[in-house]
Amino acid sequence: MRTARKVPAMSPARSDRLPIATLLEGDPDDRTPVAFDRRGLRTRGGLRRDVSALASVVERAGVGRWLLRVEDSYAAAVSLLSLARAGAVAVFPPNGRPETLRRVAQGCVGALWDAACRSDAEAAGIAHLGIDPLDPPDPGPPTTPARIDRERPLVEFRTSGTTGAGRVVSKALRHLEDEVLALEAKLGGPLREGTRIFATASHQHIYGLLFRVFWPLAARRAFQSETLLHASELIPRMAECEAAALVTTPVHLKRMAASDGLRPLRGICRAVFSSGGPLDAETAKSVAQQLGAAPVEVFGSTETGGIAVRRRDADGEFWVPLPGVAIRCPGDDGRLEVTSPYVSVGESLDDGRGRTLLGDRVAIGADGSFLLRGRADRVVKVGEKRLALPEMERLLELHPYVAEAALLVREQAGEGRVHAVVAPTPGGWEALRREGRRGFGAELTRHLSGSFDLVLLPRAWRSVQALPRDAQDKLTVAALDALFVEPAGAAGEASRPDAPGLRILDETREEDAFERRIEVTDRLPQLEGHFDGFPVVAGVVQLGWAVDAAAAWRGRRPRLAGLEALKFSQPLRPGRTLTLRIERAREGRSLRFRLHDGEDVFASGRLLLEEGDP
Amino acid sequence: MESLEQEIKELIITALALEDVTPTDIEPEAALFVEGLGLDSIDALELAMALEERYGVQIGDDPELNQRIFASVRNLADYVNEHRAH
Repeated sequence: MRTARKVPAMSPARSDRLPIATLLEGDPDDRTPVAFDRRGLRTRGGLRRDVSALASVVERAGVGRWLLRVEDSYAAAVSLLSLARAGAVAVFPPNGRPETLRRVAQGCVGALWDAACRSDAEAAGIAHLGIDPLDPPDPGPPTTPARIDRERPLVEFRTSGTTGAGRVVSKALRHLEDEVLALEAKLGGPLREGTRIFATASHQHIYGLLFRVFWPLAARRAFQSETLLHASELIPRMAECEAAALVTTPVHLKRMAASDGLRPLRGICRAVFSSGGPLDAETAKSVAQQLGAAPVEVFGSTETGGIAVRRRDADGEFWVPLPGVAIRCPGDDGRLEVTSPYVSVGESLDDGRGRTLLGDRVAIGADGSFLLRGRADRVVKVGEKRLALPEMERLLELHPYVAEAALLVREQAGEGRVHAVVAPTPGGWEALRREGRRGFGAELTRHLSGSFDLVLLPRAWRSVQALPRDAQDKLTVAALDALFVEPAGAAGEASRPDAPGLRILDETREEDAFERRIEVTDRLPQLEGHFDGFPVVAGVVQLGWAVDAAAAWRGRRPRLAGLEALKFSQPLRPGRTLTLRIERAREGRSLRFRLHDGEDVFASGRLLLEEGDP
Repeated sequence: MESLEQEIKELIITALALEDVTPTDIEPEAALFVEGLGLDSIDALELAMALEERYGVQIGDDPELNQRIFASVRNLADYVNEHRAH
């Protein structure tokens, strides 16, 4: 796309000479491909007709904000260009959950969604508001094409804002178009004419919107309008092309690169772009081995657009700022400040001069490249979805079961996933007792699922009497993380041969004592034979739990050499949640144990132990 | 067929590292995604890979077909049974 390289990103060029607006001018029978999927091609002429039809419907229905949620990227392109022509604004909700859609739809005059997203709208009870952008109702006579105004706001990204006002990031066509022209100048080299752009990243987020929709539109490359997530479908289709590029995310790339899956694309795939989260070094290396070049990793944010890129095989861990982007590290906290022409002035994070202070901490090198040093705030990425942990914590704390909640991200099945620690209210403990940890977690998950993307929902739950705080009264990730290290519940029981057969809800260590919060489940093997009509936990089993807890505390398995002052005060039935406390007894080497639920004591006594092998 | 369902339940639990879920908790006809077991899009990719690896079945990108295949353990078992390579 030669003209693009000649247009400096910042030049105040006349809007109708810029590539996206001019795309809409010309022959409505132009058969040059714009987009493709498994069913066929979308042409430039078709795009002109589709935009003309939808733009006139939008104009008549009312210009203003339009909720946009379509799965098909060609439908997204038609929607955005139609809204641009009508002078309206596309609003991207942060996810397709019913409560989110309802909230975002409130400020909109209409909505655009395709069949794939219609069921979300139906679940939200707002399906009647929507138009299918590729099948608008009676377009009527075409309106005179208005000149597209590059300076008007065109898209708005919303943060979820479940417990307060969500933040809005607004972009004019100018921001999007200037940015993709800069991308073309910096990264477009290998994408020779005819390169087809495939993508697994969603255009609902800024990265996908720029890389799979606006950049191909501006550079006149055909883009894939459907999203194929399985390598077995995607790779053969890319392999049929003469030249292709892939816009993907670490979640997808990692799986596609596994077992040499990209090898058939060697010589065909000109570039792989990865963004939406950190890409592990191993995947980057594997892609380089299979394709001959490492992926182009893109670092950016919704507020700023693209900030920097790197290729592991050329740049190592260092990020190189994109042309036109200036970076600085103004404060002691190491947070990155970005001055970018692609930031819309008036952002809440922005000081009005195009500067944005981000939550990412960096170390900037002498040559202007930089290393990422983690986040200064508690914003995380799961999949390519961004989550402010405090926001989900606040929503959790609105649930009657939860007094206090803390979230963290831990690895689970190869992916960083949200894990939750809650301090339940009395009603919450009651529910935990009644439903077990799974039912308890399921209820809280339901509570969150109306507002958050499903991949963000907590994958594991721990309940504690109080959140673990350090001497400065701060919650630390290490203390929260420790609660998940010993897998409690079903998975943990299966993996531990000496498992006590109960569910450990949490553990606390004091200098002279050790406490386990435990739940006696209904499916305890130890209940077998202990009275079908009235199941009780045998005393010897309770003793076994005490010895097991002592072993966990001491870090070695002791041998039980004697028992003193042993008392079973009342029958212990399944379904109870209780505390098992072990403490050093004054009497010599023995340990005192007590199995109780508040004032209700079930068993107590002293264990005389001989230290066994570590 | 029942033993294949049992195998798939165990595969789901181990491949996705699900906590607090035992094979008996998964009803063969209950929904796996969203409602029911509550699996999500990352799980879908991981599960497809695990099934491909274990049984040599190919999982494609036909949304309607996938909705059917992944609807429940029973449907998964039927699909694996029909398409397995070994």
